[in-house]
Order: sequence, then structure tokens, then C-alpha cells
Amino acid sequence: MRRVAVTGIGVVSPVGTGRKRFWEALLAGTSGIAPVQSFDTSRFKVKLGAEVRDFDPAPWCRRLAPEGVGRASQMAIAAARLALADAGLDPGALEPRRTGVAMGTTSGEPLEVERFDDALLAGGAAAVDDRLAARYPCHRIPGQVAAELGLRGPNVMLPNACAAGNYAVAYARDAVASGRADVMLAGGADAFSRITYTGFARLGAIASDRCAPFDRERTGMVPGEGAGVLVLESVESARARGARIYAVVAGYGLSCDAHHMTASHPEGDGPARAMQQALRDAGLAPADVSYISAHGTGTPTNDRLETLAVKRAFGAVAERVPMSSVKSMLGHTMGAASALEAAVCCLAVADGRVPPTVNYEHPDPECDLDCVPNRARALEVRAAMNNAYAFGGANASVLFTSE
Amino acid sequence: MRRRVVVTGAGVVSPLGDSAAALHAALMVGRCALAPSDLVAGSALHAGAIAAFDPQRYLGDANFRPLDRTGQLATVAARLALDDAGLDAAAVGAREVGLVLGTTYGSVRTIAEFDRRGIEVGPLYVKPFDFANSVINAAAGQTAIWHQLRGPSSTVACGAASGVAALALAADMIASGRADVVLAGGVEELSFESLVSFARMGLLRGDGRAPEPFGREPAGFALAEGAALLVLESADHAAARRARALAEVVGHGSAFDPTQAADTTSLAQAVTDAVQLALGAAGRTPDEVRAISAAANGGRIDDAEARGLAAALGAHAVAVPVTAPKGMLGEALGAAGALQAAALLGAMAAGELPGVPAFAARADFALGGARAGSARVDLRLALLDGVALEGTCCALLLARGEGAPS
Repeated sequence: MRRVAVTGIGVVSPVGTGRKRFWEALLAGTSGIAPVQSFDTSRFKVKLGAEVRDFDPAPWCRRLAPEGVGRASQMAIAAARLALADAGLDPGALEPRRTGVAMGTTSGEPLEVERFDDALLAGGAAAVDDRLAARYPCHRIPGQVAAELGLRGPNVMLPNACAAGNYAVAYARDAVASGRADVMLAGGADAFSRITYTGFARLGAIASDRCAPFDRERTGMVPGEGAGVLVLESVESARARGARIYAVVAGYGLSCDAHHMTASHPEGDGPARAMQQALRDAGLAPADVSYISAHGTGTPTNDRLETLAVKRAFGAVAERVPMSSVKSMLGHTMGAASALEAAVCCLAVADGRVPPTVNYEHPDPECDLDCVPNRARALEVRAAMNNAYAFGGANASVLFTSE
Repeated sequence: MRRRVVVTGAGVVSPLGDSAAALHAALMVGRCALAPSDLVAGSALHAGAIAAFDPQRYLGDANFRPLDRTGQLATVAARLALDDAGLDAAAVGAREVGLVLGTTYGSVRTIAEFDRRGIEVGPLYVKPFDFANSVINAAAGQTAIWHQLRGPSSTVACGAASGVAALALAADMIASGRADVVLAGGVEELSFESLVSFARMGLLRGDGRAPEPFGREPAGFALAEGAALLVLESADHAAARRARALAEVVGHGSAFDPTQAADTTSLAQAVTDAVQLALGAAGRTPDEVRAISAAANGGRIDDAEARGLAAALGAHAVAVPVTAPKGMLGEALGAAGALQAAALLGAMAAGELPGVPAFAARADFALGGARAGSARVDLRLALLDGVALEGTCCALLLARGEGAPS
């Protein structure tokens, strides 16, 4: 099995597009959360969202016509091009059959369902066109990335909701490690949607004023959108071409709570097993982990149970491991979230700094781990764990280490 | 050290029966599942619906109302698969059983209805259950909760190749030691939303006749619904609990056609690449392949599949028997590859392979072994092919198992 390196990072996020802007914004504690603009929220009690407002698909969709591609796919294409450029790889110089794409999402292209419903309600079945069939299915996201870049290798969508990005990175790691591909683009994407917003609002999960993970007065999460893509290749090939290695994908763990569709396991069972499996897979002990990127949505339940799960997996070591939530700044970008957080882990390993959990004011005895409150911190990160938990009880933890 | 992966059970929910044997028997007599659909008012579209699907028959009196139709189909298929493999609740509870589920549309009906209720009645009046079921991995989540599957859980979407991709991913999880037992397959429901939108694309056969896989003039396909899950298990684990091995997953491969071109040369190449990768991974040669279960559905990419398969199999392509169940079953998208796999298990057990419905042999057709009628076949090694309209091609090789240990 080949060791697998991350050599490129591409990001479209509520705090900016491109690896550099993204990382600087997060280290500075910049928030991408603001009142929703993309649809009318007058019938909602909550108003906050984390939208990507400065995104223009035209520069990124060169082979494909941007108007023929759904928004999540557009953002995924941009992130993929950014990631390849960051890795110093020319898309035209990649070996098409040896380069694949693995992506995750929560909702695929939900704007296509909205469009379908608007047409249906306005004009009946006769008013509906073919776009739902042509653009909605979520496998169109990795498909459109590959179509844009001319890639013929393994192409898969792992739509495992809010943990999907981690599943995609895990899949891609195995594809490169086993030799089924030489280069994999791996990540996640989701488009901001009234469907997602309506759902989380109905669950009472959306924050009323700000997103404050691990704070005693936290009121919820904030739906967002974006795309994150990593370039994975073997450590060998990265060295041979003199590429910068951000981090090595050292291991991962997957588990299922089998407990509840939307609520976490009350004892943190599934998340703890995913973390333990990732540690075993990487051959690391809890004390070897320097940083955890938390799922950290900001809902009262998630943050309490995640704290419990980390303690269960890490034992007494837990209190010494900094664990921040960038969702305090990015909101919950759904299928993109764990991909963006994987980027955070890689950057933390490469850069020796970890981003903060912003909006932290009131210590919560049930969330008493070190959440890197409000200010970024210099820290030598030899191993970073990325935790992600999804509807349906699917859990995924990925470990990134220094070379 | 890669571990060997065997199939120890299958669960099927389909318009042509609720077991691998029943599905195989229906295909053998050429029974067609397709009938006029009432999902789109005023249309003459035919579809493969599971009439009078009754989850209670399989799940008992438990409360399955939180599950939408997709969740129910997958949960029932899992029940049947676990029963077939001889894994009861205690056996599942003692292990971390995984689940890999293919889908294309997920619960698009639930999502769209949820959205329309939010618009018409107001966002405060939508149902939380519906939102939980709106995520694309909802059916996997519901299935895992119902059967207490606590191992690795993943949904896989590759269009009509999803089911094959799911079997491949599950096989890798077992081969690498990440899991001992994984339920793998796919699910798809028929919905107004997918049916009407597909019809607008002009891809569905609209004249009320059954689709003709590998037909001379592609007249379109019919959509269908169903679910199939196979129980994949490490060979050692199966042997230790004295489970019979129905088949062994000996290799798989995948490739993608990024051109989306009307000229399907590039798609055919991806079909070829996927099959050759599968053969290479299995260490097998084309002449060892005793049967092909094709993805052909009567639509416009059938010919590319035939050319791609023929190129991969070389001289052997003129002889190997072919089955194309979607002519009778319809195109079940995310479930299709898993239904094909279940039908192959039935064929392996019976030693006979259903043919390609309405197929008329012709000199310029690359797969010379294709016949309308069924054939007696010693199915030692079968090729399961998945091809998605959007470009994903997955191939998987199934070797016949040794049956129950004596």
C-alpha cells in the first residue's frame, strides 16, 4: 500500500475563495455568517446563513457551459481547478485514466428541486422541464468535475450528508494507496437552499443570533454552502515531482450510530468508534494527536455529545488536545463541511497554526475541552483529526499527519 | 494481505419477485414488469412499479411510518438479505455489520413534497420526519437503525452504475479488513418527479411497448423501482460460522467517460477500461467469463456498452452468453446493478441464464453470444456490468461459490 499525500487545496467558502484567503480569514477569526440574501426569509423566525456571495462560475467552467451545470457542481469545479493549481498540476498534463474524482454532498443540487417545484406549482406538470433528471442527481457533481477536466479514472459520489467530505477523502486515499488511481480529487460540495434551511429551521436547530460552538449560551448551527477539494497522490510521486506536501492521509475510521436519523448517540458511541478506528488505522495513540477539527455545529446537543465522544475515545488525553470548530465562522456548509475542515487540518499540519472557535464567551461544564477560544494559536501539529457526523448516524474521522 | 470476499445471502424487493430465485425464475420465463404508470396523469408511460408493496409483511407490526418508500424498500431488502444469510438479530448485534447502499435520486419524492409544503403551507408546518428523510443517505440511515448495522455505512451514487459501485466498495471494505460483514446493493423508488423529468429528456419509451436492450434502433427505456442487498462477508468469517458461499467477488474496476458526447466512442472505451481493470484485478482472462449481465436498457447507450464489452473480451465476445434484465425489469437506476447481481446468483444456482428480450441476432452486433432465449450455462464466472448515462462505468466479476461447507 502506498502512503498518500495531500498536495493541493481548493476552496470556495463563505469566507472567501482560494486556499490563501480561506486560511487567512479563518486564522483572523473572520465570519462568513450574515442574514440570508438568496431567498426571502420573512416567513422564518431565523435569518442567518453562510452564503458564498462572490462566486462567478464563468472563469472556472471552461469546457462546460456554466449555465448547464448546477450550483454545487459549479463550486466543485472551481475548487477542483484551484486545488490542481495549488498542487502545481496542469489539468491537461494529468493522465486521464489514472486520475479520479470522489465527492460528497448532503443535498446534491437542491436548487434543481426548488426550480422543479416552482414550475410545478405555477403551471402544473406541463410546465416542468428535464432539468431535474439532467442536473439534480448528486453523482453529477463528481461527473461534472471530471467532464470539465477530462478525467477518466474512478468517479464516485458518496452522499453521506454532513460527513460526506470525509468519506470522499477516505475513498480517495484508498484509491491512491491501492494503486487504482495515481491522483484523486476528493472533497465535497453543497449549494445553499431553502429546502435545507426550512428543514433545519423546523428542527429548531438554526442559531438565532450567532454561531457559538461549545459556548454555554449556544443556540444552534447556521446553514451554509461551499466546496472543498483536496489533491491526493502518493508520497512517492509528490516527492518525485518536488511538490509541497501539506499532510499525509494517515488513516480513517467509519461507523454508524444506528440510533436516530437526526440525533447523535446519547453516549457518543458511533463517533468514538470512528475516532478509535482512525487511530488504529494510522497506528497512532491518542497522545500523538495534536489537534482536532470538531464537527462542532453549535447546536446544544451536538457539542455536548461530541465532547463526550472525544473523551470516550481519547481518555484523559482529551483535555490536552485543542479542538476548534471553524463552523463558528463558515457556518455548516453541509456536504462541503468536512472537506473544508479536512483542508483546515492539512493547513494546520503544514502551517503550525490552528484556527479558533469564535464567539466563545461562556464556559460550559459539558463542553470543557480546549476549543481554542476566539484567537488562532501557534501549535506544532504532527497529527490532526477531522471529525464529521451526519444525519442517518454516519460518522467519519480522518487523520492527517506531517510527512 | 487482501482477504477473499464471498456472498452469503441476497435480499430482493422487485416488481418481479422478492428473492433472487423468484427474480431469476421470472426473467427465465420472460415475464415483463412494466405496466402503465399512474404517477404522471394523462401520460402513456410504462414503468416497473412494485404493486401493493407491503412492508408490514416483512417487518411485522413495528412502526415503519418514519420511513418513506425508499427507506422501506431498503429496510425490507436488508431484512431478506440477513435472513437469507442466516444472520439473526443476535448475530448482527454481536458484530459491526456495514452497509453500502447505491442510489440515484435518493428520496426525491420526499424532498420535493417537503419543499412544496414549505411553499404552500409555510416553513413552520413542514414535517420533521420528512426532513430527516430528505438527505440522500436517509434510506441507509433508516436501514442501519432498523437492523442495528453499526459498521461502516455509506451511500454511493453513480447513476445506473451505483449498485455495482456499492458492491465494489463493500468488497474493498472487507478485503482490507475494515469490516467482516457488509450489506451492499442499491435502492430506487419510482416517483412522479423522476418519471416526468426523465420523460421530458426524451429518454423513456413512450409507445407502450417493452424496451428492447441492444435493439437495432434504441426506442428508449422504462423506469423501475426496487431494492437489492447482498450480504458480503470475508471468506474466513463465512466459513467460521458455516455459512454457504453463493459466490465470490473476485475483482472489480471502474472508469468514467468525461466527454458526454453524442458519439459514444469514448463511453465504449470507458466500458472496456472498467472490464479490463476488473479482469486484471481478478487475475482472470476474458475466455474465463461464462456470462455477462449487461446494463443495457433499450436506450441510446446500449450500443456503446456492447462495443465496449466486445473490445474488452476480444475474440471471446462472439461466444459468451448475455443477459439484459432491464428489458423485463425496467431501469431501476441506483438499484439496477444490485438487482442484476441478485438475478445472477439465481442463474448461478440454476445453471441457466435468461436471454435478451426481443433480441434479433444480426451480423454487425459485437456480442455474438446474445440471444433472445435462455441458455444452459455453467456459470463459474460472470461479469456484472453497470453503465450510467452520465458516464460512470463499473464492472465486477462474480465467481460461483462452493455452496455450503459439508
